Amino acid sequence: MTPRVSPILAILGLLWVVVVTGLAVLKPGAIALSTVTAVLQFSTILALVALGQALVIVCGGAGIDISVGGMVSLAVVLAMLLVKAGLPGVLLPALCLAIGLALGLLNGFLVTRLRLLPLIATLGTFYVYSGAAVALTGGAAQAGVPTYLLPWGRGAVGGLPLPFLTLALPVFVMAGALLHTTSWGRWIYGMGFNERSARLVGIPVDRVRLAAYGASGALAGCAALVSLAWLGGGRPNIGQNLELTSLTAAMLGGIGIFGGRGGVFGVLAAVLLLVTLQTGLLQLNVNTVWQVGIVGTILLIVLLIDNLALIRRTSTACSHVRRQGF
Amino acid sequence: MRAFLQRFGEREALLALGCMVSGLVFSILSPYFATPDNLLTVARNSTELLLIGLGMTLLLGIGGIDVSVGSVLGLAAIGIGRLLEAGAPPALAALAGPVAGLALGVVTAFVVIFGRIPAIVATLGLLGLYRAGIFLALGGSWLSGLPVGLTNLLAARIFGLPFSVLVIALAYAGVFVAVRLTPFGAHLLAIGNSEARARLAGIGVRRVQVAAFVLSGGLCGLAASFYVATYRNVEMTIGATLALEALAAVVLGGTAVTGGRISLLGTAFGVILLRLLQNGLLLVGVPSLWQPVVTGLLLLLVLGAEALWGRLPLERLRQSVVGVAQRGAVR
Amino acid sequence: MHTHSKVVLLAAALLAVSSTFALAADKKVAFVPQIIGIPYFDAMEAGGKEAAAKFGVDFIYQGPVDTNPVDQMQIVQNLIDQGVNAVAVSVLDASSIAPVVEAAKAKRVALFTSDSDAPKSGRALYVAQATDEGLGDAIIDEMVKRVGEDAKIGIVSGEATASNLNAWIGFMQARAKAKYPKLKLLEPQFAGGTAQRAAQIATDLMTANPDLKGLIGVASTTCPGVGQAIETAGKIGQVIGTGYCSPNTARAYLKSGSFGYSVLWDPKELGYLTVWAGKQLIDGKEVPATTTPEGMSHPVTYDAKTGVLLLGEPAVFTAQNVDNYKF
Repeated sequence: MTPRVSPILAILGLLWVVVVTGLAVLKPGAIALSTVTAVLQFSTILALVALGQALVIVCGGAGIDISVGGMVSLAVVLAMLLVKAGLPGVLLPALCLAIGLALGLLNGFLVTRLRLLPLIATLGTFYVYSGAAVALTGGAAQAGVPTYLLPWGRGAVGGLPLPFLTLALPVFVMAGALLHTTSWGRWIYGMGFNERSARLVGIPVDRVRLAAYGASGALAGCAALVSLAWLGGGRPNIGQNLELTSLTAAMLGGIGIFGGRGGVFGVLAAVLLLVTLQTGLLQLNVNTVWQVGIVGTILLIVLLIDNLALIRRTSTACSHVRRQGF
Repeated sequence: MRAFLQRFGEREALLALGCMVSGLVFSILSPYFATPDNLLTVARNSTELLLIGLGMTLLLGIGGIDVSVGSVLGLAAIGIGRLLEAGAPPALAALAGPVAGLALGVVTAFVVIFGRIPAIVATLGLLGLYRAGIFLALGGSWLSGLPVGLTNLLAARIFGLPFSVLVIALAYAGVFVAVRLTPFGAHLLAIGNSEARARLAGIGVRRVQVAAFVLSGGLCGLAASFYVATYRNVEMTIGATLALEALAAVVLGGTAVTGGRISLLGTAFGVILLRLLQNGLLLVGVPSLWQPVVTGLLLLLVLGAEALWGRLPLERLRQSVVGVAQRGAVR
Repeated sequence: MHTHSKVVLLAAALLAVSSTFALAADKKVAFVPQIIGIPYFDAMEAGGKEAAAKFGVDFIYQGPVDTNPVDQMQIVQNLIDQGVNAVAVSVLDASSIAPVVEAAKAKRVALFTSDSDAPKSGRALYVAQATDEGLGDAIIDEMVKRVGEDAKIGIVSGEATASNLNAWIGFMQARAKAKYPKLKLLEPQFAGGTAQRAAQIATDLMTANPDLKGLIGVASTTCPGVGQAIETAGKIGQVIGTGYCSPNTARAYLKSGSFGYSVLWDPKELGYLTVWAGKQLIDGKEVPATTTPEGMSHPVTYDAKTGVLLLGEPAVFTAQNVDNYKF
């Protein structure tokens, strides 16, 4: 069963062309390598987190992860506190990843073992993780990121920022390969498309879902590492709003909210589009509040168009029972 | 006793017990908790969330959701504030709230239902739009020190009870009657149970869905009237945390996110428990920064406990849905 | 092919024309607040615009919609990339500009802070409204004047992650310890950015401490909440409210009596001074130790060692003088 690539990618491509052309016409000075570097740098954290969100949603079962922002914040805080407490600084990357993974696995446990609905489970952990991050530090930023990380966090090669090049891009390639070429990928799409059938066929739905939540956590840990290496300090509320923006990016990227649909490169494209749009609007000195409004409008329009295409597709094919849910 | 519990509903009983136990603990740990003034404070703090939670309960009942409720409250509040600033009579300003809320509910309904976009994503998009709208409507500033006329109006006491308590009780009673005793209610829960089957049964699905969103909007607008009356300030970040808090309270109260089973009493208890905990914890000296953690832990513990030690008997009923227009469990 | 080359020529012509426009444009000074949409920063924007008009520079005002340092940094980065000549930032915390300091230096953009500082980040200078110490001291001293030296005082702050607010709280606590040892300053509570939370927490503080004599709202967003809480609780006169609030926000509460006073500086002047400082940096002029910038009514001081350009002393607003101010 091939995962359906939605017309969303075409729409995204069109939007991107529109944004870049608009920028080129209205402010030619903005089309420069430094802009590309800036866009990629600011896309990295969102891209990593959006990928985790996408994986969780594609697995189906009303999958969603509202706690992604909280996981990033808490990973940042715990990693820094541990390093301050005496752990060697060289362990920081491993710490971020391990903490993120643990937090994600907790989410997965709540969803697969306790059978809590993902919306509720991650709502609870959202409050716990983001609240703990701020409460443990009293809101104070944690300074003292080991200096060996900073050249990586802030460096660039040929205009491409190092974290994007060495972390985000490989991760996306791996995820794409996983989803499109391995049996794990087929399982994930199968689960998302029709969970009952997947279980009947023998797919270890719960284990795969647990792994997806774990992956989301690990990716949040990666994002935490990038933020530490880039900012040089750990802010306890660094993950603020990431849950909403990662969900927006995933939806824009073609991930169907009911699961079983969409690809990771759509997510990357959506993230890049969003950040390019943000950058473009900033270059044009448009008030930042409009960004929020424009992104919301684009989300609605893109989904409307996608719906129209879906209706046209299914009306000519066999009947396709649309799943209920939110 | 068991029969009473069965009827009352285990989750609501659990929450009521939780309220009583925490109340008791806080009274012991702090002499200022069990005072009439403090309890009134908790009640006042709960007003907006009780109303928004009521709307959210209905939306979850049909299998929908709305993450933009905070912004709807914000836009309605701006309308009220502007009217007050222009010198309008407080009663008019108070009514403007629900009216604005209903109008916004229509917009939300339109996008979700006629756009056929899943509610969570549609309201996510609308959230962005409404936030930008709030900034525009505020002109980039705040509404501060709004005239006290509205405050005095809504703080009036009728039969010794604050006006807000009466309004909330009326709202809950009204919704209870609508859901329990009218076809609207049965249809609402049937749609939440299974939209396809409800449609097959001939229920006007669209109509009920629109009604739910519009009603939810109206309740947010009503909450805005009380908000402006109590705080006399409308800032850009108004209502930012309310959507998720309302969702947490409603879920805590036993309403199923997947739809088909709602609990009005549960929502009320959920809101009160949340606000009670926030108040009590501060009184006993727990720093305010830990309050979100407590909210999250409460949610996870209550739902986790239910998952581990068995669900409500009615859950099994829901799972074995036979027939078409199922009248779900309503409390 | 023919139309293709026409299009290319047209595009090249457009580019050439717009770049000449870029060369002829004024120097640009930008200010990035912590968050847009609050009256305090709106006033700074107004001051900045006034100064820009006076000193012949373009003024750009851009800020994030939430208190997220990454969003703030994105704006700063974009301004640097755009070639804005001087960028002032009211930093949410040091990490808001640390990564872009090098890029700014490379592009010869003067990056400096205003209203909130990041002392060790390599910023060109810091335009301070008043010393953090002066602000902390002023609010405690005025409170003690009104409630006595052995009173209990509560603190309601906004975001726990805002470094400037925490700095003021730190100095409040230091002042209390040093000068008024019998003063009981409660642990600060954090209300986030809404009036509702601030009111909720202020009310709970008053309930938990019936002998509370004073409430300090540290962030300008907490002012309405604190003032309203005192009114609603009916404790006007029993509890003296205050905060770093603008006269417009505090007016209603100063008049009703729930606020005894308010400590602030003129954010419009701060905005004005910020743009002036930007101009000095662009022109490469040394800032003298004491000077009165053109259009300002009083001198400002500059400490070259710490790079702090000080606006002046904090001002205290009361019900008597609040109507003289319109911000």
